[in-house]
Amino acid sequence: MASGNTLMPVTALVSGARAYRVAADPTLCVQILDLGLACCALEVGSAIAAGLLVEIEQSLGIGELATVAEGTSQGAVTTILLISGTITDALAPAVLRAWSQLSEPKAAVSFGACANTGGPYWDAPTVTKGIDQLIPVRVYVPGCPPRPEALIAGLLKVRDEIVVT
Amino acid sequence: MKTDGQVPGQAHGVIALTASACTSCMICVRECPSWCIELESHDVEVTDPGARRPRTVSFLDAFTIDFGLCMYCGICVDLCPFDALAWRPDFDYASRSAAGLVQGIGELESWQQGPGDGTAISDS
Repeated sequence: MASGNTLMPVTALVSGARAYRVAADPTLCVQILDLGLACCALEVGSAIAAGLLVEIEQSLGIGELATVAEGTSQGAVTTILLISGTITDALAPAVLRAWSQLSEPKAAVSFGACANTGGPYWDAPTVTKGIDQLIPVRVYVPGCPPRPEALIAGLLKVRDEIVVT
Repeated sequence: MKTDGQVPGQAHGVIALTASACTSCMICVRECPSWCIELESHDVEVTDPGARRPRTVSFLDAFTIDFGLCMYCGICVDLCPFDALAWRPDFDYASRSAAGLVQGIGELESWQQGPGDGTAISDS
């Protein structure tokens, strides 16, 4: 058990962001930091296992990522903070720190009912009623849990917004 | 596992509504564990030719499901006495705002007419 003053090794989390190509749009490349706080995280793994998200070499350095970025439709690799799960009051500071440590361009995607609104725990005193109370959310993906395909649809929605703005 | 981005027709993607089948009985609203369904209706008196007194019929004014709150348990689908609610496989309705996940009669009915084999998983 962790001691009381260590909530979560956030640095380890941020360095755990991985780059993926989206199979539905090969020009779309995103870095995803998956904060798998509850059962929705399984669907993210499922999307990868199904080949909907294709991991780019884990060992890519910053320079190589920039090369990948040139081939993408946005010209930059957006880092997605994927909040998939229940945000309890104990974990909320860790989510905030992870968000503040990500470099631009970045976008937060709220994945599943718990992250969207608190979901079935909306009446619980220790659960945040939606991650948008803490950080700006770009796209809300509905579901409990959302299907892996819904994750891809959400990422494409993030892409569309980047192109528009 | 499917890899083509297509989902099975029986997938529990979204809950669709057939408004004409809904009698505003409120069972789904009351039984929903997430309290994500809201319903408004008013009573209309219908006078049938030759009838001794007018019938009272509920008219559905508004029906919304907040898919931000919904836990997709399907209790509303199971309990609806008139099969006005049904599972549909649609999954592509992410929104840029939490309020955009609240869907009204129009959207809920469009899903009802959408693709999918309409078979409930419990029936197969």
